[in-house]
Amino acid sequence: MVQCLDGVKRLCAAFINCCDTEIYKQPKGLEDPEALARETVFSVSEIEALYELFKRISSAVIDDGLINKEEFQLALFKTNKKESLFADRVFDLFDTKHNGILDFEEFARALSVFHPNAPIDDKIEFSFQLYDLKQQGFIERQEVKQMVVATLAESGMNLSDDVIESIIDKTFEEADTKHDGKIDKEEWRNLVLRHPSLLKNMTLQYLK
Amino acid sequence: MTRITIAKVMDSFWFKKSAPKSILTKEEQKFQEYEKSPFKDSETLNAFHIILLSEGLDLSPLFEEKKVEEKEELRFATTRPTSSVISTLEEMAAKSGNFSVKKSESRVRLQGNECGRKGKLTIEAEIFAMTPSFLVVEVKKNYGDTLEYYQFCSKELRPALKDIFWISPTDNSALCSLE
Repeated sequence: MVQCLDGVKRLCAAFINCCDTEIYKQPKGLEDPEALARETVFSVSEIEALYELFKRISSAVIDDGLINKEEFQLALFKTNKKESLFADRVFDLFDTKHNGILDFEEFARALSVFHPNAPIDDKIEFSFQLYDLKQQGFIERQEVKQMVVATLAESGMNLSDDVIESIIDKTFEEADTKHDGKIDKEEWRNLVLRHPSLLKNMTLQYLK
Repeated sequence: MTRITIAKVMDSFWFKKSAPKSILTKEEQKFQEYEKSPFKDSETLNAFHIILLSEGLDLSPLFEEKKVEEKEELRFATTRPTSSVISTLEEMAAKSGNFSVKKSESRVRLQGNECGRKGKLTIEAEIFAMTPSFLVVEVKKNYGDTLEYYQFCSKELRPALKDIFWISPTDNSALCSLE
């Protein structure tokens, strides 16, 4: 008898879970701006302004209250034909629920890091994860090379492999203080504190 | 109840202390700041500075509705040495006759001789040496009317830089791309 009830309970739980998935849920509107304001650097009015932006971006391709990768690319590059290693990384970092779409909460929380008032440690953390392409907890030389090559290709600049290698050599000489061929969080932090300009993309004045 | 007279207020020490000695215009104030502080030594740059040039890392377009065809900050790359870039900019200024030039090892500042619509157009070019054979130059408007700045870019800057710069063939620098 007990087992039977248990089975029923589990069945109910599964049923509820099923109903609770994204497929059935309507994306929330701006339900609780105060809560988001509390948990981010934004004020309530900034959250509301951000929501307007979110609505605009998220309705560009599919009007479903969510930003998919294409809408993100469109908003960033003004064309959905442009693929970018970096935009992909940014999108992935925004997508904390790892479901390939951004809801407003994810959008607001991620952008909070870019606010001028956000703690610098958050910015340092975000940028580290951005460059840690394979998400192994450190930035490898190969990842740096990949990013440098991608950037140069994007803008049609051509540098010989030798020159690129020497630039990366110099970079690692300075950054890789533990001499293990990788840049870990601590080394990244030190590098950024020495070169604050490395964080300049991590602050968006528009957010104020 | 008596109130202090205006005369007495103006005579008080705190009023005298806080009153500016002369009223500088905003432009003059900015100019003074530049005069005072020596140009910083250029940082030694690294691979991450190159990576930061990437468009995908600049999220500011999220906040702009229309395509920003003309960015205020423009970037060029060149394999010529810094001295060559600086002398090219100086020649350009001399040729146009409209600018006075101030320079340091890695910066060139051009200030318009005449007042434009919003004061004297002031442009700054900052040169970053990634390696001795790869420079990135950032040109931006420090002061003045944006439209005049764009005109300057297309009519004077771009022709002058034709021979020594690579283009960045992204849409954003369409204004300053080479033919």
